[in-house]
Amino acid sequence: MAGLVGIDVGGTFTDLYYSGDATRSHRILKVPSTPQDPSIGMIESLRAAGLGADELDAILHGTTIATNAVIERRGARCALVTTRGFRDLLELGRRDRPTMYGLEGTHEPMVPRDLRFEVDERLDHEGKVVRPLDEAGLRLIGAALLELEVESVVISFMHAYANTDHEDRARAILAGINPKWELVTATSVVREYYEFERTSTAVVQGYLQPLVARYATNLARKLHEWGFDREVAIMQSNGGVAPLRQLGQRAAYIVRSGPAAGVTAAARIAAEAGFSHVITGDMGGTSFDVAVVINGKPDVADLTNLDFRIPLRLPMIDVHTIGAGGGSIAHLDRGGMLMVGPRSAGAAPGPVAYRRGGTEPTVTDANVVLGRINPESRMNGKDSTLDVEGARRAVADLGKKMDLSMEAAAEAILAVVNQRMAGRMRLMSIERGLDPRDFALVAFGGAGPLHGGALIREVGVTTMLVPLYPGVLCALGCVYADLRYDLSQTLEKRVDRLEAGALDAIIKRQREQGDSQLKEALVPVDKVTITHTADMAYQGQIHSLSVPIESGWDAARLERAFNDTYRDKFGNTLDNMPVVIVNLRTIVVGNRSNSPLPMAPAPGSGSPKPISRRPVHFGKAWHDTPVFSRDAFAPGMTLDGPAIVEQSDTTTVIEPDMTVVVDKNGNLLVKVK
Amino acid sequence: MDPVTLAVVRGSLEQIADEMDLHLIHAAISPIISETNDCANGIFHPVTGETIAQGRYGLPVFLAYMQFTVQKVIELANADGGFKPGDMWIMNDTYLGGSHLQDVQIIAPVFAGGELFAVMATTGHWMDMGGNVPGGWAPRATEIHQEGIVIPPVKLYDEGKLNKALVAMFRANVRLPNEITGDMMAMVNVFSVGSRGIEAMVKRYGRALLSDCLNEMIAYSERQMRSYIAELTDGTYTFEDFIDNDGINDTPMRVALAVTVKGDQMHFDFAGTDPKATGPMNMSRNTTLSSVYVAIKHIFPDVPVNGGTFRPISFNIPDGTMLAAEYPSPCGGYLEPMGRVIDVVFGAMSKALPDKAPAAFFGTIGVVSISGTHPKSGSYFVGVFPYPGGYGATHASDGLINGTPPQSMANFMSLEMSEHRFPIRFDHFRIRDDSGGAGWHRGGCGTEYGFTALSDTIVSVLGDRVDYAPFGVNGGGSAQASRVEFITSGKTWVPEMRSKQEKEPLRAGDALRTASPGGGGFGRALERELSMVERDLNRGYVSRLTAETVYGVVVAESTQGAAGNMRYRLDEAASIQRRAQMKTGASA
Repeated sequence: MAGLVGIDVGGTFTDLYYSGDATRSHRILKVPSTPQDPSIGMIESLRAAGLGADELDAILHGTTIATNAVIERRGARCALVTTRGFRDLLELGRRDRPTMYGLEGTHEPMVPRDLRFEVDERLDHEGKVVRPLDEAGLRLIGAALLELEVESVVISFMHAYANTDHEDRARAILAGINPKWELVTATSVVREYYEFERTSTAVVQGYLQPLVARYATNLARKLHEWGFDREVAIMQSNGGVAPLRQLGQRAAYIVRSGPAAGVTAAARIAAEAGFSHVITGDMGGTSFDVAVVINGKPDVADLTNLDFRIPLRLPMIDVHTIGAGGGSIAHLDRGGMLMVGPRSAGAAPGPVAYRRGGTEPTVTDANVVLGRINPESRMNGKDSTLDVEGARRAVADLGKKMDLSMEAAAEAILAVVNQRMAGRMRLMSIERGLDPRDFALVAFGGAGPLHGGALIREVGVTTMLVPLYPGVLCALGCVYADLRYDLSQTLEKRVDRLEAGALDAIIKRQREQGDSQLKEALVPVDKVTITHTADMAYQGQIHSLSVPIESGWDAARLERAFNDTYRDKFGNTLDNMPVVIVNLRTIVVGNRSNSPLPMAPAPGSGSPKPISRRPVHFGKAWHDTPVFSRDAFAPGMTLDGPAIVEQSDTTTVIEPDMTVVVDKNGNLLVKVK
Repeated sequence: MDPVTLAVVRGSLEQIADEMDLHLIHAAISPIISETNDCANGIFHPVTGETIAQGRYGLPVFLAYMQFTVQKVIELANADGGFKPGDMWIMNDTYLGGSHLQDVQIIAPVFAGGELFAVMATTGHWMDMGGNVPGGWAPRATEIHQEGIVIPPVKLYDEGKLNKALVAMFRANVRLPNEITGDMMAMVNVFSVGSRGIEAMVKRYGRALLSDCLNEMIAYSERQMRSYIAELTDGTYTFEDFIDNDGINDTPMRVALAVTVKGDQMHFDFAGTDPKATGPMNMSRNTTLSSVYVAIKHIFPDVPVNGGTFRPISFNIPDGTMLAAEYPSPCGGYLEPMGRVIDVVFGAMSKALPDKAPAAFFGTIGVVSISGTHPKSGSYFVGVFPYPGGYGATHASDGLINGTPPQSMANFMSLEMSEHRFPIRFDHFRIRDDSGGAGWHRGGCGTEYGFTALSDTIVSVLGDRVDYAPFGVNGGGSAQASRVEFITSGKTWVPEMRSKQEKEPLRAGDALRTASPGGGGFGRALERELSMVERDLNRGYVSRLTAETVYGVVVAESTQGAAGNMRYRLDEAASIQRRAQMKTGASA
């Protein structure tokens, strides 16, 4: 077998991970991204890795193009056709504001009002026709859309999840008017109620579809020119991949695919290390992304807000982002309280130590002055080393305002930023009734392993796992991901009033749809796993619970499953309240031939040899601390803190009362003694 | 006080309050809590009752008022021999706690090492408290007893033992007893989340250090608030506005405010405000204080919410006025005077701080409640639809379209979900054209919606802002006022009190039409960028007439598309000329 390559195209860097086999070793590298045409950076990374097209079975990649196009409103010229009376749904949303306090700011919808049209038609909540589709009126709208030169048209009708006839007919009519339009019916993207959320999700798809389809065509051509004609797949935000050929139809699914890939990799690595409950912490320059993995499965959110009033109602790995990164700026607020972030120095001007003009102390500066980051580090190939003196001055100035020494001020910056990150980790795990001692933290990203030790202590997590290549984990995740298709449909019916066979009919149809998408993908899979869940609630409740179900279950069995899930979560059940089944979901996963993890170094014993020593500040004192190269760690080795472990993509801090064990796959397992 | 410990402790306490919010939102039965977050949770000082931390998921309307309830309950508990572990107090007394009878509060002590350490409180909106109108929004109430049952501060749990007689008593007096009992238990469970978190902190930091932190947090917020006030120019800033009527007597009611800034203190004087209303347009003194804090917090969003924030601000709210309601005045329409208090704070502050204060928001919560027996399920339903509307423009931007009221974060119900639950069909839900106040920055447009009843349904409306439109600031124009129309037996009519109507029976085919106000404009319309006026015209946010006569533009070309859609192009040179003429004309 030849190798697989995972490529994560971020805003600044394109990361590559090549999974080798018995004869070839794996490779990792980073090259600058090429935002004007991301495929250039991708090919460049393949060349730089010395990989030939014939050495690869598959290229799997994650990309930020979809996310950026939504946030920066650079999508297609897209029109929206709705039921008469409801074209403004998309702009109105559900009555809200951008922030709880402060009344400033507006909302720019993806489809402006002059490209939104209404056609006479109406269904009721059971899908019965109240008013037939006005086909003549729709043709006039089609003519207007020709004049307006739109690229894509989204069709979203009230209650169409209960009956797609009108949407399907409207699509056929518009296709007859201009076959070049990218046409999207809302229920083909998400077949669930909640008109605003469904329409917004469909508009994200319609807004991105032309852009993503062009991207896919261009990438396929560039790879062909390079000599590669085998499988290309793209990471989706649900944690699975989809083939390039289906990308246009799945544009809304690839929003935020990079973070999803990171979580996927972290879950897999942790599972092989024996941890089924995992918190993943990806800390970079501006943000901390945290996600939870329970029983080996990343938590999936049903709805994610991509921006103010842009909900996406598709299953996405639930990655929470907080504004805490290496570049987060420390300052005192008006009351004299120390704050860290969310304001960030970003890449420019950056931390003071980076010599790019930054003057305010950042988290990175605190790490530098405490000796945690190597002062001889060279920033991105530049000649100059870190400006340690500048960082010390900036931190000391802040300390003076608090009557703290430079060291104490730097420790304070770390304490405050760690508390914010730990707080979010707690919210996502412990408060769901899960014991932190059952969790491992997989720390990755450039700054994750610097802070992970402090975080496990703060949250009470037992182990920090630092994988072999924490800086390119998202690229790794692309290689591990399975194919995945999510299907859903709203029922909103009392369980005891379901018609016999109704549930099984929907399950059967969803299985068939998933199966056929899987077949069309033309990607070889080892086996297919199909699971069904029902969103259920007591009648009247808004928040439903996801309950695993099976076909053939009767009302009593469904109710029992719901009550068990409810009791697990809330500790009691509400007897005598009717149970409602809101949505029925099917997940079809095509398990790909599992590629092996990066090969661990040969086993060793004892402790690695340090490459140098330097003073590092922990707690209230400086400690003479050995510094190690990550390359020196072999499976079976152990080490007691304090220690600093350096590798090209990150630095790991082992605090004085912590120990390290290197596991069989080469991961560092860090624990509090 | 060690600043690092303080920052970490503050973050941790806020986190605990957040966790309490989330627990309640996820466990509650009623959509008004679980969908619209109509709830609040906080941690309070065990002696002074001042707010220490409040959850960030609940509604702003509850910003300050739980503090007053907690203070009252501390007083009562002390008179009763002090809090004991396992005690929980419950109340909804409007005059003590604030807001309306639907907002029920439960208060519990937290003990550490056998000693009282802090007090926790939770508030949740209960869908029905009995009274004359299902859901509680009774536009023609003249005394509080018509609005529902009053629960004075009493023990729900006495040392861990549930007062079952009390629960049976209010179950018998509400329309949705099962839902309400479910919500009550969800609220009770919030305290196990809160006490678990606080106990862990006491264990980690020690009681003495943590107590010092609580005191310092309050002192810290006080310093921060004072630093903002000190930046304002000393002086007295006045503003007044009106409520259309009280639902019973058709006379406008004045809300008058004089804000005096002196050094690092502010005094809010509501002298000149009209006496108490006969109808439900009253609110308790504590709700008035809460309204002022909400407005201040919108102007200074960075100030943390705790007791210290309130220390540099003093008040005069004259007895006998609609803003200092006393027994038995009805308060069910409190959200309307609350909106007007927020408006007059914005209006007065726009004179002191024109770059920060917004123009008036849509200014009416306009609650539409529907109830009846569902023809299919045979079960009783109550639905509540509060108005969305436009925000006032600010120095920073145009006003938002379809905002939630400043005192709320509540969303509008999903239309499809509503049609599943209630026998109604929505006819439209749309931006109200030309309804935002004109200005250099335009006010946000209001929202129009309408529904038709599919079977017998009772509809009540409780709104305002028909006779007095939301105002603009710094030369900005007013927005369009509110409008409510019923269509019954084929006839369209406006309620006698314009936006207030109690228990109107609708039959199948009857309908309701509402149009909410936009927000006021900011700055002069003749200064608005021409490209923005052209965009507004093409999107229908402003009409051609408004564009020409108020914004002073000249349309060079208008074309009609195949579907009747209009496109406009402005004549830049001619527009500049017309604007110059209009400015001269205005000054001449």
